[in-house]
Amino acid sequence: MKGIGKRVTVGFLSIVALLFISGMISLFELSNMSNDTEDILSATKRNIEISNELLNTVNEHGRAVVGVVILGNRARIDDCHRLVSELEGAVSVARNEALDASRLDPLSASVAQLRSMTDAYFEATEPVEVPVISADSIVIGTNLEVPKTTKSGREWYDSEYKAASDKVIASIEEFMTHTHASLAPRAEQLNKNAYRSVTPVLISLVVMIAIVLMFFYFIRIYCVKPLLRLNKALSDYMAFRLPFNVKDELIDEYKELYDNIETLVNLNKQQNNKQ
Amino acid sequence: MRLSVILRYVGTVMLCVSAFMAVSACISFANNVDTGFYPLLLSSLLTLLLGAFPMLFVRKAQSITNKEGFTIVVGSWVLSCVVGMFPYLIWGGEFTLVNAWFESVSGFTTTGATILNDIEALPQGLLFWRSATNWIGGVGVVMFALVILPSLGTNKMALTNVELSSLAKDNYRYRTQFIVRILLFVYVGLTLITTLLLKFSGMRWFDALNHAMSACATGGFSTKNASVGFYDSWVIELILMCAMFLSSIHFGLIYATLMRKGNNIFRSEVVRTYVAIIVGTSLCIGVSLFAAEIYPTLWESLRQASFQVVSLISTTGFATADTNLWTPFAIVLLIFISIVCACAGSTSGGLKVDRLLLFVKQLAARIKHQQHPNAVIRIRVDGVVQEADQLNGVVVFVVTYLVIILMATVVNTMFAQDLTTAFSSAVACMGNVGPGFGEVGSFDNYAQMPSILKVQASSLMLMGRLEIFGFIQLFFLKWWR
Repeated sequence: MKGIGKRVTVGFLSIVALLFISGMISLFELSNMSNDTEDILSATKRNIEISNELLNTVNEHGRAVVGVVILGNRARIDDCHRLVSELEGAVSVARNEALDASRLDPLSASVAQLRSMTDAYFEATEPVEVPVISADSIVIGTNLEVPKTTKSGREWYDSEYKAASDKVIASIEEFMTHTHASLAPRAEQLNKNAYRSVTPVLISLVVMIAIVLMFFYFIRIYCVKPLLRLNKALSDYMAFRLPFNVKDELIDEYKELYDNIETLVNLNKQQNNKQ
Repeated sequence: MRLSVILRYVGTVMLCVSAFMAVSACISFANNVDTGFYPLLLSSLLTLLLGAFPMLFVRKAQSITNKEGFTIVVGSWVLSCVVGMFPYLIWGGEFTLVNAWFESVSGFTTTGATILNDIEALPQGLLFWRSATNWIGGVGVVMFALVILPSLGTNKMALTNVELSSLAKDNYRYRTQFIVRILLFVYVGLTLITTLLLKFSGMRWFDALNHAMSACATGGFSTKNASVGFYDSWVIELILMCAMFLSSIHFGLIYATLMRKGNNIFRSEVVRTYVAIIVGTSLCIGVSLFAAEIYPTLWESLRQASFQVVSLISTTGFATADTNLWTPFAIVLLIFISIVCACAGSTSGGLKVDRLLLFVKQLAARIKHQQHPNAVIRIRVDGVVQEADQLNGVVVFVVTYLVIILMATVVNTMFAQDLTTAFSSAVACMGNVGPGFGEVGSFDNYAQMPSILKVQASSLMLMGRLEIFGFIQLFFLKWWR
């Protein structure tokens, strides 16, 4: 390459290119990191939402069951069915979004147990039409009567329903903790990504500092210093008639300038000799 | 000293390093753009920029002074190690700053020691880059010994005198350009032949190339956690032994032998001594292992012993067995050969057989001189009389080498290393061997070492590679004036 202008331009362009590369790397790595962070945050948020929905549904179901079995309000049986279906729907959504669906098996099983248990109890305590028989053994009508079970409603609620409901709540809690645990490797990955996003930029910066220092050095020895030496040599010649001589390595236009000055000095000497 | 000229030539080496990084990146790309692709590509670009920049301003120098030439070589080595750690650092994993520096220095100095607990976890591109650092380091040291040092001419440079035996110097009658051709011919040829042989003996192409590059550079980086022991094949071991042995002999002599010239391998006193050491130690260790019932048959004992001896004496460091389990006698012999190492003018490091030979001859001459005080005793190697300067240089080098090992051992023990680990790691790093004994045994690594000791070990590797004095000179201000 010839021409000091070209050299300086290419030098600057190299630094600009490096700045551009560093910038692009930062952008690329930061966007990667941002995506990962967003993924982790959204997964956490979704987990909290689903868990909250599940817990609310279980609580509501508990209240509906209390209404049926303790307060005797059988109109709430439909609510119980609806709530269990909602619970199953929420579990199904959680299963679809979970990183490891098999971890939701205990929750599905406990919800299924809750449904079958409450259904069985409601069926067992379904009032049946009992014929009203007159004294002369003639059926005079029917009466709705609740069949006698071994346990009272409160007993069933305390001993069986509560246990099944607690099992569902425990499964939901396990689902929550497991989801957070499964996010840990991703958080670790995020940590690695943070390291990976910083290191290339740091390395690029180190290389850039080295290039800037080299650039400064080359500009000094190939541009500034020759100019100063040429100027000094010319001044010495003009002031003290010292021989015009520059020992530095001169390149491109500086070399031409030196040659031209030398020619001029020689012409001047020849003219002086003639005079 | 002209810094601009030094920067230009170091830049040329950086371009070469950048090209190898680009090749490694291509391998990553071919391997379904594995995780090594981006670190290697980026490192290649940065190194390219760093290497090409000085060429913008500095013209090719007509002549290089001794100091400049030497600074170019040392500077290239150190800077190669610096840029060589870029891919490791960007990739992450087990590579911290110190670990990446250690791995890079270990690669370029052809030491082959590693800080990796799980080598196989590395992507293929990075595995290739590790082997490439070995290969570049190997070619670098031979260039250094065969091209740079002789080109320094008649200047009384201590390192030239110490580094080369007279026999080795005989091979420098060729022109520099021709020496480069010899070097490339032997080095590349040996690598290609080894690759082909390894492939046909059951290795995958990738593993064959990596192991061949490592063996010909006497580096020792393997692509497997169990090193060569993974293959458990005597054919592969035999091929690698031949490659390691040939790479640890003066390359000029190999060329001369191939060209049927007078000064060939078979006539060389150094090579004969080298072979004698290999055969002797292999037999002693083999018998010792068989007697201690470490291996069931004498053949198996000899097989394991000979592979380990060639691997350590050539400063390669491949492993087929856990030498920590061997007899104390075997371990002591292996440490001895880790100090002596192979021949000058090869890719191996260490004290070198040339110096050992001269040292022993000086010792014999000294004894003879005491018996006959008026006798004029000349020390000859292959019939060539050795000059007093050269002999003094050998003594100074041997003493300095051993003193540095002792000092490094003391520092190692300060950081709670047991004596075996402390001493053997200092020997292994200084001689560019790689594996030592104790916690840094053939099936272990340097991962558990404190960071400060890893930095010390890296410095030892560089010091060993640059023949001590070359490295030390750089730290004297006078050198730079």
